Amino acid sequence: MRLLPGDRLFAVLFASLCTAPAVLADGLSDRIDSLIAAGHRDYAANAAPIAGDDEFLRRATLDLSGRVPTATEIRTFLADRSPLKRVRAIDSLLASAECARRLEQYFDVMLMERRRDGKVTRAAWEEFLRSSFAANKPYDVLVREILSADGTNPATRGAAKFFLDRDLDPQIVTRDIARLFFGHNIQCSQCHDHPLVEDYKQDEYFGIQAFFNRTFLFPNSQAPTAVIAEKAEGEVSFTSVFDKAKLVKSTAPRVPGRSAVPDPKIEKGKEYAVAPARDVRPVPNYSRFARLATTIATGDNTAFRRTAANRWWAFLMGRGLIHPLDQDHTANPPSHPELLELLADEFAAHKFDVKWLLREIAMSRTYQRSSEPVPSSKDLGPDRFAVAPLKPLTPEQFAYALMQATGFTDAERTALGANFSDAALHARLAPNAAPFLNVFGARPGETEDKFAATLDQTLFLKHGGTVRNLIAPRAGSLVDRAAKLTDVDALADELFLSVLTRLPTTDERKDVADALKTVPNRSVALTEVVWALVASAEFRFNH
Amino acid sequence: MDHCKYACGTAEHAVSRRSFLGAAAAGVTGVLGGFTAAASARDLAKAGKRVLTIFLSGGVSQLETWDPKPNTDTGGPFRAIPTSVPGIHISELLPHTAKQMTRMAIVRGVNTAEDEHGRGAVIMLTGRRTEPGIEYPHFGAVAAKLLGTGKAELPGHIQIHPGGGGSFNKQDAAFLGPRYASVVVGDGKPPADLFRPAGLTTEADRQREELRQKLNSRFAKSRRTAMTEAYAESYDQAAKVIARGDAFDVTKEDPKLADKYGRHDFGRHLLLARRLLEHGVTFVNVQHTNYDTHHENFDFHIEQLGEFDQPFAALLDDLADRGMLDSTLVVVMSEFGRTPRINHLYGRDHWSKAWSVALAGCGLKAGSVVGKTNANGTAVTDREVNGGHLFHTYLRAVGQDPTKNFYPNDRPVPIADPKASAITEILA
Amino acid sequence: MAAPIDFKQTRVGLELKHTSPLIGCRFDPSGRYLFVSAQDDTLQRFDLLTGRKTAMLGHQSWVRGIAFSPTTAEAGPLHLSPPANGLGALALVAARPASSFTLVTGDYHGKLIWWDGAADTPAPVRTVLAHDGWCRAVAMSSDGKTVASCGNDHLVKLWSAADGKPVRTLEGHDSPVYNVAFHPTGSRLVSCDLKGVIKDWDLSTGKVVRELDAKVLHKYDTGFRADIGGARGMAFSADGATLACTGITNVSNAFAGIGNPIVVQFDWKDGKPKQLKPKEAYQGTGWGVALHPAGFTIAAGGAANGRIWFWVGDENVHKVDVPVNCHDMAVHPSGTALAIAGHNGTAIIYTMLAAATPAKK
Repeated sequence: MRLLPGDRLFAVLFASLCTAPAVLADGLSDRIDSLIAAGHRDYAANAAPIAGDDEFLRRATLDLSGRVPTATEIRTFLADRSPLKRVRAIDSLLASAECARRLEQYFDVMLMERRRDGKVTRAAWEEFLRSSFAANKPYDVLVREILSADGTNPATRGAAKFFLDRDLDPQIVTRDIARLFFGHNIQCSQCHDHPLVEDYKQDEYFGIQAFFNRTFLFPNSQAPTAVIAEKAEGEVSFTSVFDKAKLVKSTAPRVPGRSAVPDPKIEKGKEYAVAPARDVRPVPNYSRFARLATTIATGDNTAFRRTAANRWWAFLMGRGLIHPLDQDHTANPPSHPELLELLADEFAAHKFDVKWLLREIAMSRTYQRSSEPVPSSKDLGPDRFAVAPLKPLTPEQFAYALMQATGFTDAERTALGANFSDAALHARLAPNAAPFLNVFGARPGETEDKFAATLDQTLFLKHGGTVRNLIAPRAGSLVDRAAKLTDVDALADELFLSVLTRLPTTDERKDVADALKTVPNRSVALTEVVWALVASAEFRFNH
Repeated sequence: MDHCKYACGTAEHAVSRRSFLGAAAAGVTGVLGGFTAAASARDLAKAGKRVLTIFLSGGVSQLETWDPKPNTDTGGPFRAIPTSVPGIHISELLPHTAKQMTRMAIVRGVNTAEDEHGRGAVIMLTGRRTEPGIEYPHFGAVAAKLLGTGKAELPGHIQIHPGGGGSFNKQDAAFLGPRYASVVVGDGKPPADLFRPAGLTTEADRQREELRQKLNSRFAKSRRTAMTEAYAESYDQAAKVIARGDAFDVTKEDPKLADKYGRHDFGRHLLLARRLLEHGVTFVNVQHTNYDTHHENFDFHIEQLGEFDQPFAALLDDLADRGMLDSTLVVVMSEFGRTPRINHLYGRDHWSKAWSVALAGCGLKAGSVVGKTNANGTAVTDREVNGGHLFHTYLRAVGQDPTKNFYPNDRPVPIADPKASAITEILA
Repeated sequence: MAAPIDFKQTRVGLELKHTSPLIGCRFDPSGRYLFVSAQDDTLQRFDLLTGRKTAMLGHQSWVRGIAFSPTTAEAGPLHLSPPANGLGALALVAARPASSFTLVTGDYHGKLIWWDGAADTPAPVRTVLAHDGWCRAVAMSSDGKTVASCGNDHLVKLWSAADGKPVRTLEGHDSPVYNVAFHPTGSRLVSCDLKGVIKDWDLSTGKVVRELDAKVLHKYDTGFRADIGGARGMAFSADGATLACTGITNVSNAFAGIGNPIVVQFDWKDGKPKQLKPKEAYQGTGWGVALHPAGFTIAAGGAANGRIWFWVGDENVHKVDVPVNCHDMAVHPSGTALAIAGHNGTAIIYTMLAAATPAKK
C-alpha cells in the first residue's frame, strides 16, 4: 500500500464519486507514479516527499499560468483546509485565460524558436494559438491546422506562420517537422544517412520533403502577403555525399513508420483545377501538400503521439522521457519506455485532449514531489524523476512572474478599472515583457534548452531600466502596499508571499526590519528589498 | 562556385550562431582570471602571457596576403613586395605589415582539409577537426584557463565582434565550463547596463546585494545545483566587471594613438583589444569581416586588407612600445584560404589545402617563415601542417605544454590534438 | 553608314581564342584589329584582315584600360563570311588596312604603356607609372592630344599623348575611380568612382563643373562590410548627347555577386539619368556599354554565363545569350559588329549586319 498525501487521497475519492469508476481504475496519474517508481529499485528510499502547499502552488501556477501566485492566492490556498484544494487549484489554473496564454507562449517558442515575424503577424499567430488552447482544441487538430495552412484564408492566416515565416525553406521545414513532430533530428540526413544515428535515413528526410517539394511561395518569396501555392509535378531527388557512384534516388511522400503516399493517376491535361499562368496561383487537382498534415498528425502515427506526449511531459517535468526531445532513436531509449508508451496511447485515446493530459501529470505524485531531496538520499539522476527539478523560468515566465511579484500587474489591473479584460491587461504587460525576451531568449531559430546566466542578463537585472521600472512604487504595487503596513512582520510577510510565495523565516523578518531601519525613506528601502527578492536564485527558478 | 557543399548548418557542420554570441553559465564556482588593479605594463609583463587573435572571417586569401604568387596563372594582379626581413615577400596589399616582418612569423604550409566555414573555424579555433559527440574548448577558453592568474576581475576571454550588441558565448568553453566562455563585446561598445543607474547609491547597492546573497545561501542549502551556482556567480562576475568598467572605454586612449590605429571600426576594435589585454584580460579575439570573396576577390581584398593593414602594424608597434609584445602572442587566422584558381566572377572560392597563418610576438622566432607551396600555390611542398600543429604552436609560444591533459569528468583529454605537434621552426 | 544593321539578327561571327581568361577588348579606330587583355598580363592583337594573333608583352599585371589615337578614315563595315582564313571558320572582308596608330594601355600596377598599335610586333614605346594601385581605365581625347587615366588612388590624371608627360591631376573623388571618358566634342571629361559619383570636369580649368548621380551602381553590403559598385563600362554617344554607364545594382550579396546588371544613361545636356534594365530578370554585372550610332544602347555582362542586351529608348527589345561571362564589350567602329571578352579566354565577335535574307523569327 502506497502512501498518498491526504488531499490527494481525497481527490481520488472525490473523483470516484463524480465520475465513472473506470476512470478511477485507469487514473493515468496513478499509473504514471507506478511506472516512475518502478524505474529504479531505490526509488522509494530516495524520492523526495510531496511538496508543501506553498511550493506546490508556486510550481503549478508558474507552469500553468506563467506567473507566480498573488499574495492573496497563496494566503487563500494555505488557509484552505479542503483535501481537494490541489486538484481544484489545478483545474482552476487550467481553466484560466492565463493558461491559454501560457500555452500559447510555450507553443510559439517551441514552434517558431523566436524567428523574426515576417509574413504572418505576431498578433494573428498568437490569437490562433491562444484561442486554440482556450478552447482546448485537440492537439492533433491543432497540428493539422498548422501543417495544412497555406495562408490564403485571411481568417486562418495565423496558422500558416510555421511555414510562411520559415519562408517555406525546404531544408528548415523538413528538419523542423521531423524534430517537433517526430522527435527525430534528421538534419544530417539531408546529405547522407545520419553518420551517428543508425535510425535516421536520408529517405526519411526526403520522404517528408516530398510532401511539399511542389510548393512555392506565391506571388514570390519576398512578398509579405505571400501564400503557399503548389504545382502538379516535381519529384525529390537526392544523392548521398558518401556514395561514390552518385546514385540519384527519389521517394514518394512518406513519414517514418507509415507507408508512402503515392500520387494517384491523373489524366493528362487534368492536372490542374487552376492551371499555372502568369500572376495566377495554380491549384492542382491532387495536392501532395494537403496530405502532409493528415499523414503526420493522427493518432495512429506512433512517432507523432510519442513526441507529442514526450513534449507535454517535458513541459511540466522539465525534461523529456526521451531526452533531448528530438533524439528519439534506438540508441537513445526513453528513461521509462512503458510510461512513454502509456502517455502516448492514452493521449491519443483521449482524442489528444491537452488539458486532460496536463491535469493527469500535474495530479501525479511525481509532479508534486518537493524539489528538496531528503538530506540523506542518494541522487538517482534527473531522469529518474525522484526529486522535482529546478526549472529555470522561461523569458516569458520570468517577465510575467516579475510583473506579478512586484505588483506591476496589480497596478495595471487597478488602472484598467471597469475596462479590465484579460486581453486589455495583456496589452499593457506585453511591452514590459519584450526586453526580457530579448535578453533571456535564445537567438532566432535556436532551441531554448540550456540554462545560462550571462553578464548581459545579470547587468540587465542589476542596472537595467526595465526591472527598476517594474519595482518602482506606484499605486497598488508591492512597494506601495508594503510601505503602508506599519507592522514590520506583516510587511515582511507581504513581501515574501508576493515574491517568493512563502512566509519569511525569523531571520528574514529581521533582515527586512534592519533594511527599513538603515534607510529613512521606506519606499526607497523597500524598492531594494524587493529587488533582492526578485534577483534571488529562489525567484529565478521554478522549484 | 558552391558556397558550401552542404547547406547543412547543423552543429556538426557549422559553428552554431550561438557560439558567436553565447553565455557565461552554469557551472564552476570561482572567479575569472585577471588582475586586482589597473596593472602597469611592467606588472603585466611579469604576470604572464596573453593572446590576441585576429580572425579574418570568411577566409582570407593567402595569395593576397602571406604567400603571393605574382605573374602566375593563379597569382592575380597584385605584386609581391619585400618586407623588413630580406628574402621574405608578402602581398603589396600589406605595405605597413611588411615593415613589421621582423616581429612576425609566417606559416605557409597550412593544409586544414576542410572547405566549409563552420568546420574550418572549428579546426582553427580548437585545433581539432569536428568530432561527433565531443566539443573541444576554443583557443580563447583554453588560454583563459591556462594563462589566467585566478585573480581576474575582468573576463579572461573576450570576443570583439564587428557589429551587434554585447552578449555571451556559452558554448566556446565546452567542457572547461562557462567560467572560460567568452564575453562578446559588440562593436567595441561596453556591455549594456554596465554602469550603476542614478538613484542607486553604493551603499544601497551593497545592502541589497547582501540580502540577495543571504536568500541565495538559504536556497542553496537544499537546492544547490550547477544552475543556481552559475546564477549566483554571474552576480559576482558582474560586480567585478562593473568595478573595472573603464577597461572597455577606448575613448580613454590617447587620440594620437587612436589615429595610428585608424579611425574606423576595425582600428577602434584593435585598440580596444590592446586596452583590454593591458587591463589584464588573458585572451581577446577581434573579428574582421568579411573575406568570403567568391566574387571580385581582388576588389574586396583591396578594401578589407586596406582596413586591416595599418591598424595591425600600429598594434604591433604599440605592443612593442609598451613592453607587451614579448608576452603577447598575436595570431592572424581565418577559416581557410582561397582557391588559387580565379573563378569566372574574379572570385576565389574556399581553399584549405595550401594556405597561411601569420603570427607575431611572444615566444616566436621573429622574422621566420616555415612551409612552402608550389609555384602557383596549389599545393604544399614543404612542412605541411594542420590546425593541430598550429594549436600546439600557439600554446608552446605562450609557455604551455599542449601535451598535458584536461580532465573533464575525470577523463583525460589532451589539451591539443595528440596526433600533431608544435612547429618548432618558428618557436624561439 | 550604308551597311544595313539589324541588331535583332546579332549572331556569332568569329571566335578568337586565347589561353588565359580575358579582361578587356577594344577595336582600333580603323576596325582592323581587336585588342584583348588577359589574366596572363598580356595584350593580344587579333588582325581581322590576316588572322594573325600577336602577343604584346610589357605589362606585369592585368590590363583593363585600352585607348587609341583617333583616325580620320572612317572604318568600313566588318563583313564576316564563310571562307576560311587563318582565323578559323569565318573570313573578314573590307576591314581597312590600318595606318600607324598609338595605343595606350593601363594596368593594375598603375602603369601606362604606349605602343605603336600597327607595328609588326608592338613593343612598349613608353612606360609611365601613373597611379598608386590599380589603373582602372584609360581614355584618349578626340583630338588625340590627351590621355586620361584613373585609378584606385582616387585620382584622374591627364597626360600628353605625344610624350607621356603629366598634364594635370584631377582630385576630388573619395573612392577608387573606375572609369573615365572624354566628351567627344567639348573640352570636358567625366569620371565615375566606386560609389557611382560621376564628376564632370572642365578640362580648361581642371575644375568639377557638376556631378551626375549613378549611385544606383553602388552598394555598401552591411553583411560583408564592403563596397561594391563602380561604372564597369562607360561611353558617350558619338554626338556627345548621351553618356552611358553600366555595372551592378540591387546587390543582395556582394560576395556571391548577387545583383542585377543595369545601364544608367544620362542626357548630357540636363544631366538627367534614365535606368535601362534587362527585361528578363538576370543576375550579374554589366561590364561593357555602348551607344550605337543608329540610336540603340548595347550592354554586355554576365555571371555564370553572359548576355548582351539591346535597348531602344529605355525598352530592352532584344538579348543575346553568350556561353561565357563577358568581362568587356566593344563595338566595331563601323557599327556593324561587336566583340565580347570571355572569361574562357575567347573573344567572340558578333555581327549585327542584316543578313541578305532576313533571319526567320
